Formats: sequence, structure tokens, C-alpha cells
Amino acid sequence: MGIEYKKSLAVLTEFVGVEEAENLLEWLLKNPKGKINLASCVHIHAANLQVLMAVKPTISAWPADENLQHWLSVLKK
Amino acid sequence: MKTILVIDDAATVRMYHRRILESAGYAVDEAINGIEALEKALEKNYDLFLVDINMPKLDGYGFLRQLRSQDMMQVPAIMVSTEAAKNDEILAYNAGANLYLIKPTKPDELLRYSQLLLGESI
Amino acid sequence: MNALLEQFLSESRDFLQGIGEKLMQLESDPESIPFLTELFRFIHTLKGNSGLFDFPEMTRVLHASEDLMDAVRHGRVHYSQTLTDQLLDAMDFVGILMDEIESTGRIGSSHASSSAKLTKSLRDLLAQASAPVDAPASELHGISNIDHPSVDQVLEEFAAVEVTPETGALPSLDAPHAFDLSEEVAMALFSHASQGTPVFWVTYHPEPDCFFKGEDPFYLVRQVPEVLWSDCILQAVPALLIDMDVYSSQLIFQLLTCASQETLDDIFRYVPDQVQRVEIPALTFVVPRGSASDNANDEEFISRTLAMLRDGELERAAHSLHTMLELSASDLWSSSVLRWVLAMIEFAPHNTPAQCALLEALLTHENPDLTLLAHTAPAPVVTALTAELASVEEAITPENVAALDDTSAPTASVAPSNTDALMPCFYTVLHAQKTVLTAPASAWLKGRLKSVASTLIAVHRAMNKLDEIAHIQNALDAALANNAPEPLLTWLEQTLAHQASREEVSDQAKPVSVLSDQVSVEDITPDAPALQHAQVALESSVEPAKSVQRPEESTPHFGRRADDVAVSTSKTLKVDQEKIDRLMNLIGEMVVAKNALPYLANRAETVFGVRDLSREIKAQYAVINRVAEEMQDTIMQVRMMPVSFIFQRFPRMVRDISRKLGKEVELVLEGESTEADKNIIEALSDPLIHIVRNSLDHGLETPQERMAAGKNAAGKLLIRATQESDRVVIEIIDDGRGINPYIIKQKAYEKGLIDESVLERISDEEAVNLVFAAGFSTAEVISDLSGRGVGMDVVRSAVERINGTVGIQSEVGKGTRLFLSLPLSMAVTNVMIIESNQQIFGVSMDMVVETVRVPRAQMSSIKQKQTTVLRGRIVPLLSLNDLLALPFAQQPNEDDEFATLVVRVHGEHVGIIVDDFRETVDIILKPMTGILGGLGGFSGAALLGDGSVLMVLNPRELI
Repeated sequence: MGIEYKKSLAVLTEFVGVEEAENLLEWLLKNPKGKINLASCVHIHAANLQVLMAVKPTISAWPADENLQHWLSVLKK
Repeated sequence: MKTILVIDDAATVRMYHRRILESAGYAVDEAINGIEALEKALEKNYDLFLVDINMPKLDGYGFLRQLRSQDMMQVPAIMVSTEAAKNDEILAYNAGANLYLIKPTKPDELLRYSQLLLGESI
Repeated sequence: MNALLEQFLSESRDFLQGIGEKLMQLESDPESIPFLTELFRFIHTLKGNSGLFDFPEMTRVLHASEDLMDAVRHGRVHYSQTLTDQLLDAMDFVGILMDEIESTGRIGSSHASSSAKLTKSLRDLLAQASAPVDAPASELHGISNIDHPSVDQVLEEFAAVEVTPETGALPSLDAPHAFDLSEEVAMALFSHASQGTPVFWVTYHPEPDCFFKGEDPFYLVRQVPEVLWSDCILQAVPALLIDMDVYSSQLIFQLLTCASQETLDDIFRYVPDQVQRVEIPALTFVVPRGSASDNANDEEFISRTLAMLRDGELERAAHSLHTMLELSASDLWSSSVLRWVLAMIEFAPHNTPAQCALLEALLTHENPDLTLLAHTAPAPVVTALTAELASVEEAITPENVAALDDTSAPTASVAPSNTDALMPCFYTVLHAQKTVLTAPASAWLKGRLKSVASTLIAVHRAMNKLDEIAHIQNALDAALANNAPEPLLTWLEQTLAHQASREEVSDQAKPVSVLSDQVSVEDITPDAPALQHAQVALESSVEPAKSVQRPEESTPHFGRRADDVAVSTSKTLKVDQEKIDRLMNLIGEMVVAKNALPYLANRAETVFGVRDLSREIKAQYAVINRVAEEMQDTIMQVRMMPVSFIFQRFPRMVRDISRKLGKEVELVLEGESTEADKNIIEALSDPLIHIVRNSLDHGLETPQERMAAGKNAAGKLLIRATQESDRVVIEIIDDGRGINPYIIKQKAYEKGLIDESVLERISDEEAVNLVFAAGFSTAEVISDLSGRGVGMDVVRSAVERINGTVGIQSEVGKGTRLFLSLPLSMAVTNVMIIESNQQIFGVSMDMVVETVRVPRAQMSSIKQKQTTVLRGRIVPLLSLNDLLALPFAQQPNEDDEFATLVVRVHGEHVGIIVDDFRETVDIILKPMTGILGGLGGFSGAALLGDGSVLMVLNPRELI
């Protein structure tokens, strides 16, 4: 659940709520090379989505959830 | 058993809150305005108040101010409003609310906060 | 229907009525702050209530009304008649929705557009009026005006995607208007679209502050099934990412889906104004793409295949195309063309022109504009291309308005929360207490401090942090001693800081983050699962199967401690009318049963010769009789309703009609609290409306006419109810032009309603009352007279049906007074029993003027009709046996006098000769049903105490 911030990796698990967005942005700004692991993520709130879209961090693992992966393919560009 | 006083002029909202709270095993009393709520609060020891803002005769702010002016009235109160108006929230805290929620309250949200404010450990 | 919904409907009707009344009152006193406040409160509460249910159509209108009234009460918008009209319309609409919810449990799709229109006009009113003072209208809507790609634009771009064979360039992804479709996806879409499954292009532009409303647009858009292509655009990224406002949505979602229109509309039913939906014609997808080839095209092959296509030899053409494909590199644009032609043969075999046009493209090296050929295709063509909010909403078919049974969201039981789930709430509460402590000092500061402390103690206890409690207590004591919040505040800040630092040090995941101070409590939406839960609840209406995602549902706790739940008392009780009716029937039977006791006493004495028993039965009867009568009275009281029930609609009606007629009317209502039986009140409603309408239409003059006649420009209409003994009298008095008795007489004579002799001697008052005669009113009469004749006979018969009478007085030029007299109740009828030809009959006492015994000598015949003179008045006499077509003469008494019942029929006195009179009794009159129902001359039958049946005559029909 939520986001676990490791040294240079943020692991997003299950549902990531709206309240995570601000911290996510902060962390990404602090760790410009920080990577995102979405492997066990089921859904991220739109606020988080726009943070990821704005920062475009490297995605180290894509979600297993196909529908989410499909939508998040926008991050691949 | 913990008893909660639901104060709202709308019978529908009272019923809605009653159902949610009763589903978690709380006892619920109702009051239809601030005056009636004060009367009930003086009669009986409640563990929590759920207060609407806009009510006839005496609104939620007035009720809370009166309540907090009584020395023994330290019971936590949740103010519920339909609007996410910043001003309402400040007024609510100023009047003596301990929490401000937006209507319609989500059942699980309301229950979580009630559980907390009632001091019920898991 | 569940109890909550019932409660909602019944309460809402009260509110609607209250709103209507307040609007009327405001019209006469637009500055009244109490009225405005009250009106706002009504609408506000109604909106709040509707928000508990899944009725977006209703909530939307109420929300707009509320915003408008809020602006009015704060003086931002001025009260006006247009505003009243709009609000009245809105409330009428809400009323209609309530009716529909009541009968069907949901709101039909047909209302979506009205809802949108009403909302828009209310919002427009708000925007218009406040525009000069406030922000531009667009901002008031909370919807930013960022350029949506208009639908036309999209289609245009789409049709004209420039893909030259040379570059094979694809539309740039940065351009939000075009799609980036692989040939595979495009073909899939094409096959769907050409085989009758419309493909929709949807763009969803969430409003910037949607996160604050607890919405997750991404979650919403992910609910769309069968998405074949999707994109997400971030519109505005600030130069410095640090400036980015993550809580302001900058997203635009776009997708292509085969989902049905209904599904889409249902998913987006809460945000229809943020969504555009366009059906894309199949041929639009046919865009060959690939790299250009140097090879010259085989023109011979092209013309041969074209001929096959034109001749409808599709199989051969397909074979030829396949062969050609095998010879070409698959990434070439020309190969793409071939594949598309094959696809068209498969999915759109009849659209030869399009097939040929595409194939011919191999010669021109340009993608053809196939959309021009769309009309010849059997595939769906562009429909509903308008992005107007209204039309999008029109399509909304909330087939699945959440089943409002007891399992729907409001009552869904919730599993006990664990500490993790409570954590964010815990911090929210702590922060809230901080806000309370920093609020300005006030007289009730001590109470506030104590409440903060008790709240803090409670939440810590809930979180099992018991060691903190003593600290809180100490801090409170210090705070109270100083009469200042600081000690508590210090403790609280330490706790929060401690918590934050501990999380930072451990580099562990923050337990759903300490909320920063900028985020106020209201900004916090529940954590993800909660949201998920809410969304799923919403979603489950679309796909019931999804409800399995709600594990909590399997463990219903609802009402498990219902037995020890304290129920608060309420002073009024709403009871189903059926129950009262049942009670009324029972007491009626009780009265009848009790009436059997005197018969029994009689029998005890005469048949069995036990006089003492007889006396005792009589004594007992007296007791039962008293109780029964009291009971009957009480139940009748319950059924009593004030006439205000009908009166309340007059202000609105008079206002609407008079405005339509260009008249000015001052309406005065008196005696609104006068009560009568519910059935009477209800039966009175239509006739009264008819009368009032007539008064307005024909009684009152236009302002010009009135001025010319030296009257006030505004006419006066008084509706008054009074109680006179056991009757209610309702008067409708206007100061209009009055009724000219001369014209009435003439018309009545021309129509053959009266003969010459009557014409001569009829008084003016009697003449005016001719308007109630059946057959008096015709269109012609209406235009000639002041028009009082319109359907007045209908009014009379409706009133008479409930044993009422109606009369009219008028003075030309001064006005008209119409009055109705009605019984208070119709449950029990007092009848006189009469005897004729050894049978008994009842006649309602309401109709009986007097009973007399007429000596044969005083009877005379005029024109073969029996008459007599009573109190200087000639009264026609009729024999009951004759009226009932019985071949017997009436029996006189020993003194050769005939028992004569004088009844009033249509204002005339008529004597009915019977054999004898008997007592009067109270009966419960039951209308006759079945074969007897068709019998004229009787108003019904009743059971007597001895078990016999009494037929009650209706002299009006008899004569």
C-alpha cells in the first residue's frame, strides 16, 4: 500500500492515494535519478499520474495489471 | 455502549448517519436543531456529537459555542457540512468542533473517525 | 423501496412545499433576510439530502439553485421575477423527479437533458448577475476554459491525417487532436465500427479542482471497458517542477472504445460536462500507413482488381490482393493499402466505391478521403456530433441507478478498522486539534480546550497509545490554569514533530504521510482503499459482478444491536393513509355493531321477557356508545386536514395565470387552518382550482379596464375558509366585473333551460345561479358573458358528490362571491329512514329541508302535477312509489295526511310523498358496486344495527 521510498527507488504498491502525490513529486525532485517500481501497483490516483507525467522518471518495473500498464504506456514516451 | 447525538434538521441525513453508526453498534440519538440538541445534551451524557451547520433556531456553530461554554461539555464534536468552504471549517473549529467532515460523509470514513474520537481501541 | 429513500421523499416534499411558499413570500418582500435565509436553508438541506443518493440529475439542479440563492442572500445577485421563475421551474422539476423515484425507484434517462438545461439557466443567471462584480462567468463554473479540441476539429484532423507515402508520417503524439493508431488497432476498430458496434472517441477533461471533491479521474476513466486506444495529456507543466500544483488536475484523457453509449454515459454521469463523446465512422479508421516504395505500381494488377471489385467478384479480388501482398514487403505503404482493401472486402463488402477509391490510391500515392464515401456504406455514420452539454446528457441512460435497497452504499457495513487504516485519520484529527487550539480566543475557550484534550485522549486510546494520556492531562491542566492553549499546543506540536522525525530517521515508508500544514483537513480525500470502495460502489451499479470486490459486504452488522439502541422520540408521527382508512372502516363497523344492542335489548324484553337484562343491556349500550362515538371523533380528527393543503398552491397558480393574462391580482387567503376530512379536502381541490381560474380569467378585468372603471389596477381575490357548525364554507370573492343576470337569463332561455314564465319571475340571484345548470356553458357563452359558465356544472356536480352545495352572488361592476358549503367529514352520514310500500329507505339529512304531513285537501294539481303550498310557496309533490316506478299509491295516515319529505334539489324545494317517517340514524354509507352500481337514484347502501340493509336514496337523481 502506498509508496515505499528507498535510496533511489520508489516502490508503488497496490493503491496509491491522492495524498501521496506531493511527497512523490518532492522525492522525484530530490532524486532526479530516482526510479519507479510499479510492479505490484494496481492503481495510482490521478494526482500521482500527473506527477509521473510531468517528471517522466525512469520506470524500473511496469505494473502487472494490464489495464494499468496500458494506460501508463503514456509514460514510455 | 457509546451514544452519539446526531444533530441535523434533515431527517434523511439523520437517518443516514443513524444507520451507519448503528451498523457499528453505537447507540444514536437525534436532535433536529441546536436548541433541542442542547436540551438533550444537558439531560444525558453523550460520547460524541455529530453536528450539522445550517439548522433553524440554533445552528451548529451556536450549538457548539453554547456547548463549549458549559463547563462540563468537553465531549468531542464532529461538524459536518455539505460545502468544502474554507470559511466554514475555520468557523467550525473556532466554535469548538474537533473535526470537520464533508457531507455526504462516507460510511467508512465516518466510522473511522467516530471510533477514534470515541477512544475505542481495536 | 428502502426506508432511507422513503424518508428522503417524504421529507423532500415538505421542503419543496416550503420552498414554494418562501418564494411566494419573497416576491412580496424580496429584501426579507429571514425569508432568504430560510429559503437558502431549505434548498441547501434538500441538496444535501439528495447527495446521499445516486440522483445526479436532481442534485445538479439543486446545487445550482443553492449557489444562486447563496449569491442572492449575500447580495451578489438581486432578487428578480426571472429568478423566482427559474427557481420555481427547478423545484417543479425536482418534484417530477421525486414522483418518478417514488413510482419507479429511479430517475429516467429522459430527464437528463432537462436537468442540464435547468442547471445551465440557473448558472447563467448567477453568472450574468454577478459577472460585473465578480470574476468572469467561466470561473464561477469552476471549469476552466482550456481549449478542448472541438469535436469538429477532431474529425477534421482525423479525416485529413496527412500521411504521404513518401514519409509515412504519423500524427504527432504531442498534438492532442489526433490518434496514433497502429494498423492492427485501426483494423480492429474498423471491423467493430463497420459491423454495427459503434466506436466512440471520448475525451475527458476533468476540472482542475476535482481532486478536492474526492474524485479520481484516472480511476474513472479506467472503468471504461473495451478501450482500444488511449492517451493521457498533461496540459500545463510549470517551468519549474517545484511550482507544480499536484492537487490541481491538468490532465486530459482521450480514448477510443467499443463500449456502448449507455455504458459510457453511465460511467461519466457525474461529470457529463467534462466529457465529449463522438461516434467515429468506420471509414475514418481506414488510413494506410507505411514507408514509401520506389517500385512503380503494377497498373495492370490495379485495373484488373478494380474491375473485379466493381463486378462484385470479391473472392477473386481478395485472391488477387493476397497474391500481390505476398510479393510486397509488408512495411510498405502500398502493402498497407492492400491490407486495408482486404479488410474492407471482409467487413464492408458492399461499399464498392470506398474499396475502389482506396485501391486507386496506389496510382495517386495519396490517401483518399474515404469519409466522403461514408454515406454509401452500411456502417454507422456520424451521429450525435455535438459536444453540447445538453445533448451529451440527453444520452445518459442511468439504467442502473444504484439499486436503492438496503445494501447500497449508505448502509454498507464496514469492517472494523485496523490501526493502519486509522493512522491517517489519527493524524487528521491531531492536525484538526492544532487548528482548534490556534483559533482566536473566545469566551468558550475553556470548553474548547477541554474538548481538545478529551479528543486527544480518545484518539490516543483508540490507537493504543495509552502512555500519552497522562501527558495530555497534564498539558490540559496547565492550559486551563493559564487559560491559554499553549501548553496543549506545545505538547501537540512535539508529538507531531516527533512522529515526523521518527519516520524520517528510519527511512521507512511514512505511514501515509504526515499531512503538511498547507493541506487543510478538507483537502484530504480518504485514502486509496476508501476511495476505491466508494468508486466501486458507484461502479457496481454498472457491473453488479464487481460488488464482490467489497469484502465488507459479506459481514453485515447492520442493526445487530438494534434491541438496545436508544430511540429518540419525535413529536409527530407519519402514518400511512391506508392505516387510517382501515381504522376508519373498523370504527364504522363498530358503530354499526353497537347499534345492534338496542335491538337485542328489545328482544330480551319482548321475546324472552327478561326486562332486567334488557335494562342492563341498554345501560351497557350507553357506555359502549359513548366510547365508540369518542373514538369515531378522534379518528376523524386524525383524518382532518387544514384547507391550507389546497390553498398553498393558489399563490403560485394565481401568479402564473395572472401574469399570463396580463392582469394584476392581489390574492388574500383567509382561514387556512380550517380543517375538514382528508377526502373532502382532496375532492375540493379540483373544483376550487376551476373556480379560481375562472375568476382570474373572466371575473377580474385587465388593469386598463379597471382603471377606466375607477378601480385599483390590481384586482383583489379573496379565498376564505370558515367553519360553520358541522360544515366548512369556502368563499371565493373577487372585485371584478361581476355577472350580468340579464345576459344569463337570456342565454338560459335561448338554451331552453328555462321557459318564458320563469324568465319573467326569476330573481337576479336565482338567475346568476343558472350558471351551475347543466348544459349552460358553451364556448359561445364564454365569449359573450363574463364567462362564468365555463364548466360550472362540473364544479357543482363535483361538490355535490361530496354532499356539498355551491352558490353564487354577484353585483355587476362590483364583483362576485362564490361559496361552497361542505360537510366536515363524509365518513358517517346522518340519514332519515322513511317507509314506503312496506320497505324502508334512507335519505341523507343534508338534503332534507323539513318533514310535513300534508292533508289531502291541501293538495292541488296544476298542469297534472301535484302541488301544495308550504309557507307561501308552491312546492311540487312527487310520490316515491311513482319515482321508483312501483304501481302502488302512497298510504295516508288515519287523518288522511300524507307524509311529505321536503328536500332541496338544485336549489328548489320538492316534496316527496312517502308512507311514513322513522328515526334518523348514523350510517357508514358504502357506494354500491357490481350490478347495483349502475342503479340510478341511490347514493349507496348501509348496514343497520339489526343486520338489515338500508338503501339510501339520492333524490337528485330520482327527480
